[in-house]
Amino acid sequence: MERFGYVRAATISEALTFLNQPGYKNRPLAGSTDLVLLLRRNPDLCDRVVDISLIPEMHTIEKTGNDVIIGASASFSEIISNPIIRETGPILVEACKTVGATQIRNMGTIGGNVANAAACADSLPALVCLDAMARVLTPSEEFNWTVSELVISPNKTRIPAGGLLVSLRYTIPPSGTRGVFLKLGRRNAMAISRLTVAALGRLDENGRIADARFVTGSAAPQICRFKDVETSLLGQVPTPALMLAAGKLATEEMIRLSGYRWSSEYKVPALAAMTSRALSRVFQVREPSGEVV
Amino acid sequence: MIFDLIVNEEPIHTEAPADISLLHFLRDHLKLTGTKEGCNVGECGACSVLLDGKLVNSCLILAAQANGRRVVTIEGIHAEDGGPNDLQQAFIEYGAVQCGFCIPGMVLAGEALLNSNINPTRAEIREAIAGNLCRCTGYQQIVDAIQATALKRQEKGRRD
Ligand SMILES: Cc1cc2nc3c(=O)[nH]c(=O)nc-3n(C[C@H](O)[C@H](O)[C@H](O)COP(=O)(O)OP(=O)(O)OC[C@H]3O[C@@H](n4cnc5c(N)ncnc54)[C@H](O)[C@@H]3O)c2cc1C
Ligand code: FES
Ligand code: FES
Repeated sequence: MERFGYVRAATISEALTFLNQPGYKNRPLAGSTDLVLLLRRNPDLCDRVVDISLIPEMHTIEKTGNDVIIGASASFSEIISNPIIRETGPILVEACKTVGATQIRNMGTIGGNVANAAACADSLPALVCLDAMARVLTPSEEFNWTVSELVISPNKTRIPAGGLLVSLRYTIPPSGTRGVFLKLGRRNAMAISRLTVAALGRLDENGRIADARFVTGSAAPQICRFKDVETSLLGQVPTPALMLAAGKLATEEMIRLSGYRWSSEYKVPALAAMTSRALSRVFQVREPSGEVV
Repeated sequence: MIFDLIVNEEPIHTEAPADISLLHFLRDHLKLTGTKEGCNVGECGACSVLLDGKLVNSCLILAAQANGRRVVTIEGIHAEDGGPNDLQQAFIEYGAVQCGFCIPGMVLAGEALLNSNINPTRAEIREAIAGNLCRCTGYQQIVDAIQATALKRQEKGRRD
């Protein structure tokens, strides 16, 4: 007997109808790279999958005014090769390039990455760094949350049952903004002990830091910007010493947010080094030597 | 459910469960056993096929997702006379095949790369096969075979 059925939606409104059709326990299916494995482990997850991966309007990537909107069913490969995102959000391109291998990037979608919300989801730190908003629809309501509001904790989001994440949207950072994404860890879906950092920033005309955004993945229970790190940088002239100090602050903020855990032993020095390395590259100062992994 | 799709240029019309992977559909229902099952969790690439021209892991995809679309498996890669094509020939010449288990996936990964990038660097070749594990060869010969084929196809392109 079939453990679950399959329907393919052609439009967003059809997907919402399917997802809320009584008599079924429905679940959206995008690239299937997470869901197929989840369903093997837990067949009770749903009794019908609603394929949203071929809905044309969920693949559009477009610039409207100063914002970029990315359809949730855009694959990592589509994002990596998209000229608009390459120009306006290269940090997201860098993050997507680190995902899996070609096969996973061809199938896996940004919407699935956000909706699944694994602690190690690579698009999340870049999206939070870009202050991205997520648009979620149900048959009767529309929600617009920041990505860090949307993700409550690992594998838990605010998307209501029967709801659909349709797109992600970010405001194009001012010109002169530079972003860096670094990932530490094996290229392996089962690798849970790994770290990512996303940093974005810009100098003013006097060479002082005018904008600093800093996020780490797999370091805190809820993905968020590290405000202490950012505050320590704003208005300062970037120096290697400032970057080293920011690295130390990042580790303190991580421990404050998630407590000292078994993994902190290795995460503390790794995060300090990755933070100062990423920020040094953003603000173009010599990378602190010796301390860096 | 009813399946209507194109596999290796041939229209397929058949009935199969909605919940099976594309890998099992190919192997058990269509008896196309060239596509291998290694890990079944997306890590090894032995099950790689082309879906609408893109390299995917057939173990992670539902057969239903391929419905109405075009699939190419290793059985669909050959020369006009049915023998090995230039890439497969290069795998043989460069000693890139030992036990052979990874090879169907490797060849498809190579074809997917060469379809989009006719002049790949060695780094690009390594990146393109990063999702395909080989326990035997140490990869060098595989990279050599793909690179040699790229050069040959470029020459042929210039001649044609
Ligand atoms: C071998 C391997 C390597 C991997 N490597 C990485 C990696 O390096 N980095 C990384 O971040 N991830 C990695 N992943 C995980 C996975 O590929 C990503 O999380 C991917 O983005 C999931 O997207 P999908 O389209 O495949 O989602 P699916 O599997 O289709 O769906 C995932 C979940 O999200 C829900 N969903 C999907 N789309 C929506 C939507 N629009 N609205 C509401 N709910 C939705 C589904 O119901 C399901 O619960 C890897 C996976 C594998 C198998
Ligand atoms: S069997 Fe599909 S990737 Fe290993
Ligand atoms: S030849 Fe044996 S696994 Fe590659």
